[in-house]
Amino acid sequence: MLSRSEIQSFLTEHPDFDDISNGMRSAARFPNKALLKETRKVVALARKFNKEVVIPHALELDRKKQEEHDYLPWEFVQKANEWGFFTMWIPRFFGGRGCSFHSMFYFIEEIASQCLAMANLIGVHYLGAGALFCAWNIRVCNEIFREVAEGEKHEAPCLITAATTEPGAGTDCEETELLDKGTLTCRATRVDGGYRINGSKIFISNGHLSTWHNVVCYEDPERPSETAMLCLVKTGADGFSFGRQENKMGQLACPASELIFRDCFVPDRYVSMNNLQMSGLRGGEKGKTREILSQFFSASRLGVAAFGVGAARGAYQKALRFALNTEVSGKLLINHQWAQNILAEMYKNVASSRLSYIEGADVNGIEGMLRPVYNKPLFYIFKYYPFHWMKPIVNRMLESSLTTRIFRKLQLEWMTEDQLNRNAGWGALAKFMATDAGMKNSHLALELMGQAGVRHDREAEKIFRDAKLLQIYEGTNQLNRQCLFESFIGRHYPQVRVYEHES
Amino acid sequence: MPAVKEKELKMLDKAAAEFAKKELAPNREENDMFPFGPFFDTVLQKAFALDFFHLILPESAGGMNQGLTALSRLLENLCQEDSSLGGIVFTTAAAQQIMLEAGSETELGKLADAQTARDCLIGLPVFNNPAEIPNMAEARKNGHTYTLSGTLEYVVLAGVAGHALIPARLEEEEGYSFFLVNLGGAGVEKSEPVLSLGLRACPAVDLQLTNARAALIGEPGRGDAYFTRMADKFHTAAAAMSAGVMKGSFKEALEYARGRFQGGQEIIKWSEVKMLLSNMAVKINNADMIMASACHAVDEGLPGWEQKSSAAALHIQEMACGATTDGVQLMGGVGYMKDYGQEKRMRDAKHMQALLGIAPLKRVKFLEKMIK
Repeated sequence: MLSRSEIQSFLTEHPDFDDISNGMRSAARFPNKALLKETRKVVALARKFNKEVVIPHALELDRKKQEEHDYLPWEFVQKANEWGFFTMWIPRFFGGRGCSFHSMFYFIEEIASQCLAMANLIGVHYLGAGALFCAWNIRVCNEIFREVAEGEKHEAPCLITAATTEPGAGTDCEETELLDKGTLTCRATRVDGGYRINGSKIFISNGHLSTWHNVVCYEDPERPSETAMLCLVKTGADGFSFGRQENKMGQLACPASELIFRDCFVPDRYVSMNNLQMSGLRGGEKGKTREILSQFFSASRLGVAAFGVGAARGAYQKALRFALNTEVSGKLLINHQWAQNILAEMYKNVASSRLSYIEGADVNGIEGMLRPVYNKPLFYIFKYYPFHWMKPIVNRMLESSLTTRIFRKLQLEWMTEDQLNRNAGWGALAKFMATDAGMKNSHLALELMGQAGVRHDREAEKIFRDAKLLQIYEGTNQLNRQCLFESFIGRHYPQVRVYEHES
Repeated sequence: MPAVKEKELKMLDKAAAEFAKKELAPNREENDMFPFGPFFDTVLQKAFALDFFHLILPESAGGMNQGLTALSRLLENLCQEDSSLGGIVFTTAAAQQIMLEAGSETELGKLADAQTARDCLIGLPVFNNPAEIPNMAEARKNGHTYTLSGTLEYVVLAGVAGHALIPARLEEEEGYSFFLVNLGGAGVEKSEPVLSLGLRACPAVDLQLTNARAALIGEPGRGDAYFTRMADKFHTAAAAMSAGVMKGSFKEALEYARGRFQGGQEIIKWSEVKMLLSNMAVKINNADMIMASACHAVDEGLPGWEQKSSAAALHIQEMACGATTDGVQLMGGVGYMKDYGQEKRMRDAKHMQALLGIAPLKRVKFLEKMIK
């Protein structure tokens, strides 16, 4: 038999057993029955929403956007708000409906399987929410999320964006090691009572439709990793305006916007993270920026993976429907052996990619950004405690700086390097695996459908246009491969260098 | 290849490349707006004036009597900048080729003699192999004339051309036949232009024919033979379009990679970017070699030319789909926007893979023909 120390030693050999056993580890820790029950309900709800809202309007909306570039899909936003989707995954103590993030990824897959743009329109709101979460400023979270909840109650949708990308910096914004080499220009200058922001952001999904914008800016753009800060800017604020809606190939119902800041004043109240707030925490300024970026992308990339699975599944479903109903060379296409195997390949792409985002969600729930809500006792408290009865007390607690400090200690200081890497690695793996699958299946669907595949009214060509964006945003798939290499492979070998200039 | 012929081809290359840069590239985005924007009639008329639609016709039919090599060079050059005009040239030439195979030079001569580009164009459901689809229009003989009834999907150019070549089954006849239909005649109903993935300025409509008068092309029941002979040759032309779009994508990506900085250096200096660009360049070099071999085999009628032509299309079309997808990837978010030609090239390449029938089925048929 092996001793404890021998077991430990063997299990930490590459590949570290903890890196490859997330599902088993989470099974032992998660409130599985409750999670399953909730996820089943959420998936059923997503399917009902697809049937009643998404499917009847997806093609029409895509066509309308091609005809009328500046059109904004407010009716859809209103519908999603009515159905409660903008508070569904906001914790109950912030006024939301408090569903688990596992159910969100399944939900995204469902909607994305029918329309990636509409799924993005809902999902990107949670990208904005994620940008709020990852700074762990509980007071700001409480204020903004409560406004989202009020917006739901009063039929005035309140959406949030995450504004990171700049004209000169795409990939550079998404990796701390590249940040200091990038051309970043969004500057925050300290003034009485807050900051003034100057600069612009591009490709911001949902920009024109959102109320609050999480803007990443830099007190010194020459030293971005040490001076990065996050602040909230509200639509309509002085000095803030929208530029053009980008002219995209696909995902048309979800506008990508340019945000322009000219001496835009942000009061201290809406600075959710800066060096001053983070002082006293271990790791230094650069370390905190790295940790926050890492936690953010570890979670957000799982969402993009779920989009990818949705795209792969949508393409598979369109191809299957075509094969079942179309006669080719004297018999139904579904009865040609080669077509059966293409469909099997497509099914495999969907199923295997889904496993990757579930594995990623598991590790995130055990030891990533999402862990506070997956702890069994906390899960049940967050799910069933009557927060609304005790709103004044809860609010006072959430607005206390001590609460923010505790969360930051827990989330930003007590996370080990191994845990950070595991989360980042699985986020990256799921992202590029699933989005590559989305693109692969889109290609296969169009090949199988021939002439019908290239027609807008047969739905498959839209998936092809929509899916391509998934390989680009939230870090190109090349960057995500680097992230996986660094997280799972490179970290075991001291001689490894990444992002080193080679010529 | 004789020196004179090679010189002629080089002149054609130059003229086509200049035309594409001057007439197609500047308005690529605007032309791609069709059907939500105007159709590019002016460009079409200029292409007509340069005899782009007369290239493969024999002199007796008012043509330039050029072979597949010339047509392929023209298409490749056009598609480097914008594939829609290439699609129009391809469709009309494919219809002309079917008529030539059927011995209908006289009718062809009349069409080629048209005064406007639109009247010279011939619509054709060029994305379908008629033998593979179950529902075909029905033809009825009334004395010396014929009438057609039925629905046809995605008849390319039928919304803008004067005539279309339509496959239809004659009562009590085996197989199908081709008929020339005057699209302005009675009994022809056209849908709105079909919104499509790519080649948007090479539009298609669905046709509803109700006792529409038509002229039989060639012999009754020989449609499949004519189509197959045309397709055997035109696979090479389709491959040329894909090779062109792949080259355009590479050029755009290379230029961008040289000028875009990320991580403190031009992105072309990152070895992963070099790898992606290199993969594209290798595909292009291979495509050039394949095209040269296929064109030579087709024009000279070498043994097995049909296989070479078909293999060229299957391989180059697949390579182009992958390469143009990478072409977008290399430019990141910018590549996904319509401000550059890159996303259009990705759509066009995928669209063109469906030319002349369902791609995987063409592969199966390739082997079946080989082992026959």
